[in-house]
Amino acid sequence: MENRKSHLLEDIVTDHKTASEILYDAVIVGAGISGAIMANELSQKGFKVLVVEAGPGQDLTIPGYEEYVKRFYTNLDKDPNAPYPVNSSAPMPRPQDIKPLKKGEIDDSGYIVQKGPDVFDGTYAKVVGGTTMHFQSNTPRMLPEDFEMKSTFDKGIDWPMKYDDLKPYYRRAEKEMGVAANVEDQAYDGMTFDEGYVFPMEAMPPTYLDKVIADTVDGTVIKLAGENHELKVRNIPQGRNGIPNPKYNNGKGFVPDGAVSDHQAEIGERCQGNTNCTPICPVQAKYDARKTLAKALHTDQVDFLNKTIASKVIVDPNTGEVTSLEVKYYDEVGADHYEVATLKARKFILAGNAIENARLMLASGLKGESELIGKNLTNHIYLFNWALMPENVGAFRGTQGTSGIENFRSGQFRNEQAAFHMDIINNGWNFATGAPYSDVADLVDNKNKYGKDLRKGLVDKVCRQVLFTFMVEMTADPNNAVTVDPQYKDKFGNLKPVVSFKIPEYTLNGLQYGRKLAKKLFQQLGAEDYTEYNPTDWGYIIHNGEGIVVRGGNHFSGTHIMGDDPKTSVVDTNQKSWDHKNLFLVGSGSMPTIGTSNTTLTLAALCYKTADAITNELNNEKNNQQKKELDYVS
Amino acid sequence: MSLKPIKTLDDVKDYLYAGMQLEHATIPTYITTMYSIHPDTNLEAYNLIRVIVIEEMLHLTLAANILNAVGGTPDMNKEGFLPEFPTYLPNGETDFEVSLAPFSHEAIDMFLEIERPAKPEEEHTGVRLKAVNPSQKKYLLPCLKDENDQDVSYYSIGDFYKAIEEGLEMLCDELGEENVFVGDKSRQVTPEYYYSGGGDIVPVYDLESAKEAIRLISEQGEGFEGGIFDYEGELAHYYRFQQLKLGKYYHKGDQADEPTGEALSIDWDAVYPIKVNAKMDEYPKDSELYAANLKFNQYYKNFMDKINTAFNGKPETLIPAIGGMFIIKQMAYEIIKNPIPGQEGVNATPTFEVDKVELLSDEELNVVTPQHG
Repeated sequence: MENRKSHLLEDIVTDHKTASEILYDAVIVGAGISGAIMANELSQKGFKVLVVEAGPGQDLTIPGYEEYVKRFYTNLDKDPNAPYPVNSSAPMPRPQDIKPLKKGEIDDSGYIVQKGPDVFDGTYAKVVGGTTMHFQSNTPRMLPEDFEMKSTFDKGIDWPMKYDDLKPYYRRAEKEMGVAANVEDQAYDGMTFDEGYVFPMEAMPPTYLDKVIADTVDGTVIKLAGENHELKVRNIPQGRNGIPNPKYNNGKGFVPDGAVSDHQAEIGERCQGNTNCTPICPVQAKYDARKTLAKALHTDQVDFLNKTIASKVIVDPNTGEVTSLEVKYYDEVGADHYEVATLKARKFILAGNAIENARLMLASGLKGESELIGKNLTNHIYLFNWALMPENVGAFRGTQGTSGIENFRSGQFRNEQAAFHMDIINNGWNFATGAPYSDVADLVDNKNKYGKDLRKGLVDKVCRQVLFTFMVEMTADPNNAVTVDPQYKDKFGNLKPVVSFKIPEYTLNGLQYGRKLAKKLFQQLGAEDYTEYNPTDWGYIIHNGEGIVVRGGNHFSGTHIMGDDPKTSVVDTNQKSWDHKNLFLVGSGSMPTIGTSNTTLTLAALCYKTADAITNELNNEKNNQQKKELDYVS
Repeated sequence: MSLKPIKTLDDVKDYLYAGMQLEHATIPTYITTMYSIHPDTNLEAYNLIRVIVIEEMLHLTLAANILNAVGGTPDMNKEGFLPEFPTYLPNGETDFEVSLAPFSHEAIDMFLEIERPAKPEEEHTGVRLKAVNPSQKKYLLPCLKDENDQDVSYYSIGDFYKAIEEGLEMLCDELGEENVFVGDKSRQVTPEYYYSGGGDIVPVYDLESAKEAIRLISEQGEGFEGGIFDYEGELAHYYRFQQLKLGKYYHKGDQADEPTGEALSIDWDAVYPIKVNAKMDEYPKDSELYAANLKFNQYYKNFMDKINTAFNGKPETLIPAIGGMFIIKQMAYEIIKNPIPGQEGVNATPTFEVDKVELLSDEELNVVTPQHG
């Protein structure tokens, strides 16, 4: 089964020799969500597109996908990359790489070289579908004030566009991802929606746990920075198949995308609440970018090269335009040998991610006029707080997060401390302690339980678990950066990303406030706080005399920020490189700030804007070309 | 009760009741075969069968919608609604039996019989009814009587529904459409309560929507105009199952019996050797197995009651009720994994004898049904 080729792939995977003889309208690097949207938008318009993907790319079939699910089930580690095979030919960051970092130490044992001072935590997946394969699929929009952080709070960098500019593209992204949410729940903190707009699917139902928390917490008033915040448990928008909204698209309704398959499968229907959205949805109810890519592949306008790593962007020194892309390709996962090919296109689109786009540019010797490539790297920093509720709250049911508290996404406090989104997690303490597996080990090894006592002990403990996660924003700092260094290479000689990272005070203030809030909420709920921050943990940080343990999100951004001025930004509002007129760097790397919103929806929205811009450029160029030819003839 | 050629609205209701019975009767047989597959093996086969189970639930719902539309009352709690296995199909097909059987070539052959396409019109002699072989006397379910009180049957499920459609058309002509579709509209299950990868729920308010629902049921089973795909381009059940037999997937543009897609990998040995059509009496009375099967039958009865409630004016309870399928799977595995004491090499299986147990409430059953969508 492992080596069986999919028809879909057989039909579309071209060979490197053929591909290098074609002048494509666009070559896209990366088959994650940005690449998939670009490929789909351009191919639907009739443009000839080539997608190159570093990963193995056997994921467009149900058996291929099931192999991932199986690997996750049998893997002892349940981390975000657990379903995806180790591939030394195209390595990716893995949680197992992360170690405590001593002062001044550089850790180059993992794919990402850690230069400190803080550990840079986070993973991404080099497989078809990219990191959407293991994202939790939360899809909140950014708040209007997030676009204007500098002018409003004197923090970070303003976007060159506002919420309203992005609004039409948010709608397209929400359609593609099949976002489940209610407008009434989402119209807060200045977020507006067009008259009559409904999300493609109805909001995912809140879990019993959500309701228990809401019963106690809703209406509690918290004073911060002179403002009163009246707490409200709100539904989290998510790209996951639920109930299609019959009112969508002026009453035409919405048809969800099912599982990706090369034969008719008709699976991937409604979410079944399996609580392992991260690292993989076992029933393909969660959106992932393969669903978009599959649509692109069906246009017959897309060629696909898997096991192909973009190694160098080659630029004409006179015009600054990209002339070609050098790629290294390999035969099978873990191969030691590679071949080189050169690909040509009218437009080149880098859709790796914030880290890979910057890495490739820098590895190609392209620092840019602003020298900002790789700089202003941000992420979300997470803080976990966990407790036992007084009664069974049905933990481990539902998707990982259905509701949260959004009160601290916005407010005057953002002058002093970072904003955050608080998630009420449905899968117990899993993210924090490895529950329920850790609970089994504890009851067996430490408490000597077996048989009925063990079962009862587990039920008693596991079903009462509650975890609040705080996803805290970071502000851009040019010292937080991705660089490359010739001494750090992978086995194909590709330069590895080297990351310098320090969590700013501003973020630490937010994290600390989150801890305070969690304690208060636990008290209010009558929950027993089990939160414990281990000083030997690599994420242990002492701030204002108090120790906390932090984790990174996988929301990397800022390494090729957009702006209106080539001196202070890398790309324009269409994610087009200021330095190279036919090069587009797409994805969250373009985002100057990300506020407290998971990055995927916003970067998807940006990709729609960029796709429109590229379509216009290509059409104009073709028209001009035709005109020239006509002039020549006449 | 015996079905007659349709003359009155009550005849139509009888047919639709048999239609619900028919759609439902396939579910125990499909899920038994599905759960007999060793967990995490034969995923392709498992998925193929699973999708069809979901679509049978859709067909059951569509049949209930039509019945409600003509003012009938779905009653899945009625004794005999779920037949004892082996059984003939309630539409009167009597040339093969439907059993609860392990995943095997024979089981797939049986599935193919269940979903077999209607014969082209010219191959039918007269109507789509055929005389029943008098030597087959084992009628577990009402068969059909023709005008001469002769036992007859429909060749396929599609033929059976065609008869309902023609009956509805005739009655609308005779009585006027508004006197046929007299049901309370709020009893209809609407699309938001259901969807699978293929096919939507059609709420039925008139002849047009009734025909639409019938078309969906028939084509999903057997294909559109003799083709292997239905009107929506979805591969029909018969051909889905045939993929298991032929070991190959159909692709767009393929002709019947000649799939050109990729190969299916099937391990016919990764299967629990469950007893075909097992009965609860075969499990030792004081065994855990007996208790587990008893509980299964009680739970399944409760599950059917919940679905029935949804079809009787509470459509919003359908989604939570379907959550019960998770429990059914879990309970079934617990039984199927065990050999029957005293019967070497034969495993137990849920017996689906719902008429032999009491209808219990959730509290009495003490099983929590997952409530999350």
